Amino acid sequence: MTINNKLSADGKQLVISIDERFDFSLHQQFRDSYNSLTTQELTYILDLSQTEYMDSSALGMILLLKDHVQLHAGHLIISKPSDTVRKILEIAQFQRLMTIE
Amino acid sequence: MSPSQKLALVVDDSKMQCKLLSVLLEEENYRVVVANDGASGVQMYIDHQPDLVLMDINMPIMDGFEATRRIKKFSGVGNLAPIIFITSMDSEQAFIKSVDAGGDSILVRPFTPNVFKAKIKSMQRISDLVEQVKGLQQEQQNDAELAEKMMSNVIEARNFALDKIGVIKKPATIFSGDIQLSALCPNGDLHVLLGDFTGHGLRSSIGAIPVTETFRAMTKKGFSILEIIAQINRQMHTLLPGDLFFAASFASISEHEKSAYIFNAGLPDGYLFNEGAKIIQQFASTHPPLGILPQLLPDAQLEVIQVKSNDRIVFITDGIVEARNPPGELFGFPRFEKAAIEGIENKDLISCVLRELDDFCQHCEQEDDISLVDIPCSGWKKIKITNKVAIPEGFSEEDNYFGIPQGALPTWSYHLHLTGKLLKTVNPIPLVMSQINDLEGAGEHWQSLYTILTELFINALDHGVLELNSSLKDSAEGFSQYFNERAKRLDKLAGNVINAPNDFVRISLKYFPLSHGGKMVINIKDSGQGFEVLDVIKDNSIAMNDGLKLSGRGVELVNQLCDTLEYQEKGTLVTASYIWHV
Repeated sequence: MTINNKLSADGKQLVISIDERFDFSLHQQFRDSYNSLTTQELTYILDLSQTEYMDSSALGMILLLKDHVQLHAGHLIISKPSDTVRKILEIAQFQRLMTIE
Repeated sequence: MSPSQKLALVVDDSKMQCKLLSVLLEEENYRVVVANDGASGVQMYIDHQPDLVLMDINMPIMDGFEATRRIKKFSGVGNLAPIIFITSMDSEQAFIKSVDAGGDSILVRPFTPNVFKAKIKSMQRISDLVEQVKGLQQEQQNDAELAEKMMSNVIEARNFALDKIGVIKKPATIFSGDIQLSALCPNGDLHVLLGDFTGHGLRSSIGAIPVTETFRAMTKKGFSILEIIAQINRQMHTLLPGDLFFAASFASISEHEKSAYIFNAGLPDGYLFNEGAKIIQQFASTHPPLGILPQLLPDAQLEVIQVKSNDRIVFITDGIVEARNPPGELFGFPRFEKAAIEGIENKDLISCVLRELDDFCQHCEQEDDISLVDIPCSGWKKIKITNKVAIPEGFSEEDNYFGIPQGALPTWSYHLHLTGKLLKTVNPIPLVMSQINDLEGAGEHWQSLYTILTELFINALDHGVLELNSSLKDSAEGFSQYFNERAKRLDKLAGNVINAPNDFVRISLKYFPLSHGGKMVINIKDSGQGFEVLDVIKDNSIAMNDGLKLSGRGVELVNQLCDTLEYQEKGTLVTASYIWHV
């Protein structure tokens, strides 16, 4: 299992955790982790604390998630990226588009 | 023999068996050739390249397993060369050994003719499928190669100054998701783009065509680099699906202003190297890749730097720093910088970086497209400044070579009066140039006119309406201070709705056809306070002679291009006339 998704008990927060490698091979699995959720005003937390490698298609996948979140008036937070991953997010200036903490 | 008839090879030391199998095969419409031992079986296979091989196991000279191994080795990976073992050894061991040797199926004696024929058919079905896949693969490869050839013709072959700009382009597949573009502006500035679409292969190179067209067309019409970036962003946002985007670095280099404008949206740091191969500055990404947001971020702005003529600007995509060696380490920034510095010291950055990269990767499979552009900050083209018309020998002024009738009326005139916010949002020069092109057709001689108009308009806006002092541009720090202040005042101007009509720049053109060319009289009036023209020009010309000043080149350049240049009304009105002959 390379993607874990957990909905909080109160149903207001979805945590999607990614394994070491975040790349195109996770495309379908990543989409499936959120696609069926249509609850409004949900907080989506993308946990990248375990992720060591991320390619540009992963950035594209994050953008698709962002579209989904916006469509349902939710909130997206990228959580605890490692230094390498943070560098990639910074080059793409994603901190201008979403919350990274 | 019909062309569709297949060929089978029967390898068996028993002539009886060979005869029997041949008959059955012929009933299935095969032609048959026969060998009686493994070694001659291999030779027959090489000579005839049959569609099917029936192989006995126990034979003199060379057994069936060895013959099969040799045949499979000869036919190579990706070709099926179907081999069926025919044996009476009904053991698990024989079955496993025959598959290990490369056999595709096994048939154990005794069998009825119908079982035999069914086996042949099923084997034929598999080999037909393999052929079909191979055909499709070949077709796809041909199409891809053709498409790639056409794309690179459209995209790279028309790049400007290819002999001066160094390029590395190593696609991971036939198609590259990276593009390098260069084009010359009407005023002699150079625009360069290095871009990287998400992913690689055909899917990611499709967007290269619209980007190329926009980049070229807008550069040619005289749009600024930021306007071009904004347009490419809008275009990519409309065209690309949500998860595809375009990371790119842009440079606009002005040889005559000795400055460069840089914009990095999502690529690794770009570099400015000096003549001594030292890294003077790095350009970090300041904006998300293009195509993600419908508009550029409101604070999107260019980095303005001063460059010396032997400086060079280098852009890279992440494929270089993320290239891996066999143990899986990344090439990384330090190795890249070291190679680049060594390259510049040896006057060949491209070969040096490529060599270091190859030594490091050692034929490891390349995961991403690798590319780099190396742009010298001068030397691609000198703008022609000796454009004053020389009267050919044998004509005197009185001969009226150009046939300018005294007091003649212009055949057309054109006025554009921009006020308030439009002074910030609209670049009038491409508008004006496109009118001229529509009325009088395209021509080389418009290049100088473009430069005259641009310089005079910017002077009117910057020193007239915005009241910026050009002496700020005299020092390196002042240079960027000037541009920051300019952006600030433009914002203020755009925000001032009530007094908007009071701030204006008016451009007027009058066109007089001449018998061997034409004359354009340009009037530019601004709403500013004016300035002491004589002081500025005197100041400039002293400084120019001392080679000290960075500002003031504009007026000097325009003066050289124009037939006459005159400031009136305290410097708020400038009249220039430009004559050309064809």
